[in-house]
Amino acid sequence: MKSKHQKNHIGDYTSLSNLRRGQKGKVLSLDIDDQQLRRKLLDMGITEGVQIKIKKIAPLGDPIDIELRGYELCIRKHDLSMIIVEVIS
Amino acid sequence: MRIALVGNQNSGKTTLFNVLTGSNQKVGNWPGVTIERKIGIIRGTDYELIDLPGIYSLSPYSLEENISRRFLFEEQVDLILNVIDSTSMERSLYLTTQLLELDIPVMIALNMADIADKRGIKIDLKTLEERLDTTIMSISALKKTNVFNLIQTIKQSNYRKNHYKHIYDHHIESTIESLVGLVDTTHKRFLSVKLIERDMLFESHQTKETLSFIEQLSTQYLRDMEQVIADERYRYIEKIRDEAVSARRDRLTVTDRLDAIFLNRYLAIPIFIIIMFSVYYLAAGPVGGWTVELVDGLMSGFGDWMSVFLIRVGASPWAVSLVVDGIIAGVGAILNFLPQLIILFLLISLLETTGYMARIAFFLDRVFQKVGLSGKSLIPFIIGSGCSVPAIMSARTINDETEKKMTILLTPFIPCSAKLPIITLFAGYFFQDRSGLASASLYFLAIFIILLSAYLMKNILFKGKTSSFILELPEYKLPSVTYVLYDVFQKAWAFIQRAGSVILMASLVVWFLISFSWNMTYGIPANESMLASIGNLFSWVFYPMLGELSWGATVSAFQGLVAKEQVVASMAIIAGYSDSTSEGLLIFGSQAFGFFTASSAYAFMVFNLFSAPCFGAIGAMRQELGTTKRMWKAVFFQTGVAWVLGVIVFQFGRLLEVMFS
Repeated sequence: MKSKHQKNHIGDYTSLSNLRRGQKGKVLSLDIDDQQLRRKLLDMGITEGVQIKIKKIAPLGDPIDIELRGYELCIRKHDLSMIIVEVIS
Repeated sequence: MRIALVGNQNSGKTTLFNVLTGSNQKVGNWPGVTIERKIGIIRGTDYELIDLPGIYSLSPYSLEENISRRFLFEEQVDLILNVIDSTSMERSLYLTTQLLELDIPVMIALNMADIADKRGIKIDLKTLEERLDTTIMSISALKKTNVFNLIQTIKQSNYRKNHYKHIYDHHIESTIESLVGLVDTTHKRFLSVKLIERDMLFESHQTKETLSFIEQLSTQYLRDMEQVIADERYRYIEKIRDEAVSARRDRLTVTDRLDAIFLNRYLAIPIFIIIMFSVYYLAAGPVGGWTVELVDGLMSGFGDWMSVFLIRVGASPWAVSLVVDGIIAGVGAILNFLPQLIILFLLISLLETTGYMARIAFFLDRVFQKVGLSGKSLIPFIIGSGCSVPAIMSARTINDETEKKMTILLTPFIPCSAKLPIITLFAGYFFQDRSGLASASLYFLAIFIILLSAYLMKNILFKGKTSSFILELPEYKLPSVTYVLYDVFQKAWAFIQRAGSVILMASLVVWFLISFSWNMTYGIPANESMLASIGNLFSWVFYPMLGELSWGATVSAFQGLVAKEQVVASMAIIAGYSDSTSEGLLIFGSQAFGFFTASSAYAFMVFNLFSAPCFGAIGAMRQELGTTKRMWKAVFFQTGVAWVLGVIVFQFGRLLEVMFS
């Protein structure tokens, strides 16, 4: 419940894992060293400039279901923390 | 003509494959059901159709993508039938842009057109066809809409042969042009792009000249080329999307509404527990147990009748014994469990086809992540309560190699349907009123041991490794009645066939070994038989968990390798299964197994549940783990765990028995 204190405002740069349910972010960069994971995320459409919305959060807080390019994808929080976004709503 | 069926996971490829070929391949509502490629013939033609595993890209990193890529690149394919899920066009077209780079004509089947329509997604087919320069047909594989036209189009080779479209910016395009002139293979354009990406599997095609072009190109960008290519592809797709696809946005779908309940923060876990408890209650618990008693009564009645009949027609004593004590006792002991298994298969099939299974993987990932497994490990574990073989194979959808290997290693710990007869027999006799509790406790023990083993392995063998989890939640679907019935029938039939072949053979061998002594005399006491002397050689292994040197229990446990239900069949034959009392009373009232107490019974169950699975499952482990050495390691690990647990249970149980008696 720490998110209460660190509310993200529009225009902030942060990692995708810090967004709350319903918030949207625009991808700035993928800060991932693992080649395989990075390519996988690129292939799934997480490329520069794409808009991602936090859609559903698993009952235990992790993983998180995100919406992008008209479909949904579940990813662990740890991986989302390596995606840097600009908060847009 | 050879046609390859290519598309994303869960895009309905297998459904289309079944419609086109008239076969009944396994369909499921979670991504990654097609694990190996399957071949069929399109109805009314002689065209070969190959169903490749679902993929998102032709990247070099995942097993499925590699299988598909190698197949398309190396084998003769005349047409790619690209199946696209109309409800997620952008991601699907990403794969399409890669397929179009191969020198193979591509035709597109826009699947689930009806669902897209309902969701307000409008697709302008003509514009899309023009932009991609290929034939596109809108179909619904599930409802069989337009599938006939699809076959006609293929037959008349009426699809346009796609020509190359410029999809990247001019720097990349001109480099590709130069590279195409330098490489010396088929699929020149595809290879050129791979060279730019510095794809490790094509590095052998790299030359000094190609490298100098690529290095020059790289200086134009701040990111590495793999990312640039992906960005450019999606930019191109966005352009097409803006022209050809319009969607009503932000509407709550039925799936969203159902997820608000099934994935609700407070309700999800209670609902999951209720569902799993119902599965257990109906299949393994009281309802399943009741059906076993019912069939058991019929079966022993049949045995008696057969015995009377054979004596009346003048059969010799050994012939009567062969039929009644060998065949009916052995095979019958197994068939008792058929109705129970049908219930279990039905319930698993329902969990699979509705889409709930993927939800379980989603919300329990957190728990499994802690012990070094994946939420997706749950799919093999649940399927494993039916049969370990498909369960071990379904572990392929797990992204991470370590998590996958651990899941394969631990899946056989889940009591499969063939172990259910063992549980039902022992728990029913020794824990009578509390038999439900006793059998439930075994499932909990299995889960506990799985989590514990995984946790220990993660912290000792794979310390400090992180892994990722990527899953798509499929739409909820009403299960198709015909498909579910077919699926259940297939599995039940396989079980009956096994009873009629492997179990029958093994039963006859056991009957022979127990009815004769080494000098081939019939009618000797059981403990002078050949079987007894074989069992006596190894009975010391089980002494610490049985408190008795029992050749009967020893040979029965060994036969679990043939099939787990054979343990029960063997015990029934050894006990002399020809009176008309209940199975439990018969086996445990006999001289051979009279020594069993509650604690040794529980210990013996535990050993049989955790020890090396049947040959079928060991074969599946061999295939999925990749090497025979890893398979042996797994088998020794499992049997070791089983032995240790069995001994602990017995020694601890005996202590309790002494204290409270």
